[in-house]
Amino acid sequence: MAEPPEQASLREALGEALGEDPGELTLEHVPGGASRETWLVAAGERRWVLRRDPPGGESFAPLATEVEVSGAAAEVGVPVPPVVTFEDEGGRFGTAGYLMDHVEGTSVAPRVLRRDELAGARERLTVQLGSALAGIHSLSPGELPSLPALEGDPALAACEFWERALDEIGEPLPVVEAGLRWLRLNAPPAPDRVTLVHGDFRLGNLIVDEQGLAAVIDWELCHAGDPAEDIGWLCIRSWRFGNDDLPAAGVGTLDELLVAYDAAGGIRPGPERLRWWEALGNVKWAVICARQADDHLSGRRPSAELASLGRRICEPEWDLLELIG
Amino acid sequence: MQDRPTAPELLDALAAMLFAEVREWVPRERRFQILVAANVCAVVARELRAGDEPSLADLALFRELLGREPAEPPVADPAGEARAAATDLGAALRAGELDPRLDDAIAGLRDHVRRKLEIARPGYSEDS
Repeated sequence: MAEPPEQASLREALGEALGEDPGELTLEHVPGGASRETWLVAAGERRWVLRRDPPGGESFAPLATEVEVSGAAAEVGVPVPPVVTFEDEGGRFGTAGYLMDHVEGTSVAPRVLRRDELAGARERLTVQLGSALAGIHSLSPGELPSLPALEGDPALAACEFWERALDEIGEPLPVVEAGLRWLRLNAPPAPDRVTLVHGDFRLGNLIVDEQGLAAVIDWELCHAGDPAEDIGWLCIRSWRFGNDDLPAAGVGTLDELLVAYDAAGGIRPGPERLRWWEALGNVKWAVICARQADDHLSGRRPSAELASLGRRICEPEWDLLELIG
Repeated sequence: MQDRPTAPELLDALAAMLFAEVREWVPRERRFQILVAANVCAVVARELRAGDEPSLADLALFRELLGREPAEPPVADPAGEARAAATDLGAALRAGELDPRLDDAIAGLRDHVRRKLEIARPGYSEDS
């Protein structure tokens, strides 16, 4: 169980940002989140979310980058929770972290796909996903000083990143190795433009309410890359949760998604490029499953739920072989 | 010898209890954990029933893809040897040693994944 941040200094930081003392705060730990802590902060009827680094933890993109990038996305019309205030490492949240407005809705994908009250949201969602992606991809890494520059080709950089991640786990996965080899040998040419990539754009990182897409959250894996990466990842079979005939997150067809993406200013990627990034997405999900199982096995995060993900590696492996075979 | 039920029979009973009974009185927001538990029981039961066959088939496949002779029977530790061969195969693929026959390796590995799915998620390879 995570240790809560210091209540008095959190209240002080929040009061300073709001211009008035919010009063007594209650804090509730929100479980989940691979490497970030999330706290629901409430004062009476008002609610915020604190997202911060766990003590001693490391993560892919620093929280300051998340704040900058999600703020830039908000300026081009992507729905994101407004950031209230940011504190660096050693500040009033203990570790680096930021407070944002609480956005009502759900990020539990099976609920988004099945609950009756979200039927209207599902009607609108595919178009909203396409527009949000086009907004994210309208941002150039040059406009985002805290985003690390891309070294080399985005496709080969992705192969190298996931090879290294696999090596850190040390689990023998010959199917993933065969996939990575195929990906290296069949890498697409450089994209028309390198853009901001969200890096984990799927229903689990989106807040959906009855109107549809309410917010894009969890910018931890954002980086500079090929915008087709986000589309391929969104479309892997694992994120369809059984709605296998609806590649766009289990809610829409690929064509609906791409038409909306194109209409909102995105550059529609060709089918071969998309297939390549969808295959890479399956490699990525297989490696993440292996890493989560390893988090349990190594004792870092003992959890039967994480352990069971080790036996789900074969699902993206199958989908990978279907794409490249 | 142990008395009946056998290990997979016990796991079947446990999975059924979790799925049909316990799930009902667990708060809605926590039901996912019961489903995880019931599913793990079902996976382990299928694995126990399958015995050494899937590991022996994987060992034979990995050795063939590596260009090695079949393992001499009897294989003392099928799962351990399959794992060691998987490590070698992964390294050979990474090093590009199988590039000239990568398509054959990709085709052959479908059987390996099918064997894993038969234990972990029956039906997955037929749905797509």
